[in-house]
Amino acid sequence: MTKFVLLVLATLAVAACHGPPPLVALEAGPPLRLVAAPGVRINARLKPALELDDGTVLRFDSPRVTSDSAYFAAAPTVAAPLSGRRLGTLRLSVCPSGQRICRLVEMAVAW
Amino acid sequence: MRNSSIGVLLLAGVVAGTTAALRSAVPSGGGTPAPELTNTSWLNADRPLRLSELRGRVVLLNFWVFTCGNCTRTVPSLVAYDRWYRERGLTIIGIHTPEFPPYAGEHDKGNLARALARQGIAYPNAQDNDRRTWDAYGIRYWPSFVLIDKRGMIRYTGYGEFHLDDADFRTWDQRIRQLLTE
Repeated sequence: MTKFVLLVLATLAVAACHGPPPLVALEAGPPLRLVAAPGVRINARLKPALELDDGTVLRFDSPRVTSDSAYFAAAPTVAAPLSGRRLGTLRLSVCPSGQRICRLVEMAVAW
Repeated sequence: MRNSSIGVLLLAGVVAGTTAALRSAVPSGGGTPAPELTNTSWLNADRPLRLSELRGRVVLLNFWVFTCGNCTRTVPSLVAYDRWYRERGLTIIGIHTPEFPPYAGEHDKGNLARALARQGIAYPNAQDNDRRTWDAYGIRYWPSFVLIDKRGMIRYTGYGEFHLDDADFRTWDQRIRQLLTE
């Protein structure tokens, strides 16, 4: 397996209870990659961040954005540190197209 | 797992807000008292605004952040309301509430000032960097709106992008005019 995918979704507890589908998945590569569910847009003006336990902040990015530069048009990625066990907080702004709003998604991650 | 792979384990997930059930404004009965504004940093105002000093005027609060496309696309509608109704008794107040921690730049007053200029926003804006007003009003989404009557009572709330002359724009317009005539 060249690419290990595990994931992780905006609504952990809800998903476990057969709630609404997850908004976004985090694919572990490398690089780390954020994949939005259909109809979900990731805010490109506020680049998703992975805040590591040592205070480092990694910002996801992609060269492809929508024409108004508001959303990513391709999954944003970031290179993750490979050494040692790490903890962090993933933070991103998602804007489901049918709801015409943006909301903050935060999740704790470890690898 | 191979060396080239990284496993990511979710420990806990929190979504700020739940799935939206309603996007349009909903009337809130006879109204409930609007929490006072206590923000200290303002733009387009020569001093901090307080709702207690705005009795007799209709107040529209717009919770927004300049990094939110849904918010910025709604701004032309708010600028239109401001142009049409300010002299008739409407005060629009932007409550600028960042999504991310300060490293993202949303907390910076200069960045907000540039966003106001870029969008042609002349109405007052409060920096809600500690989310005190966001929390006081129980807001969960960007953009959100709270319409307050001349007595300081919350009469309508809602959230979601709208555009000049679409159905939601007309709904908010009608509600503003209703409160202005009371």
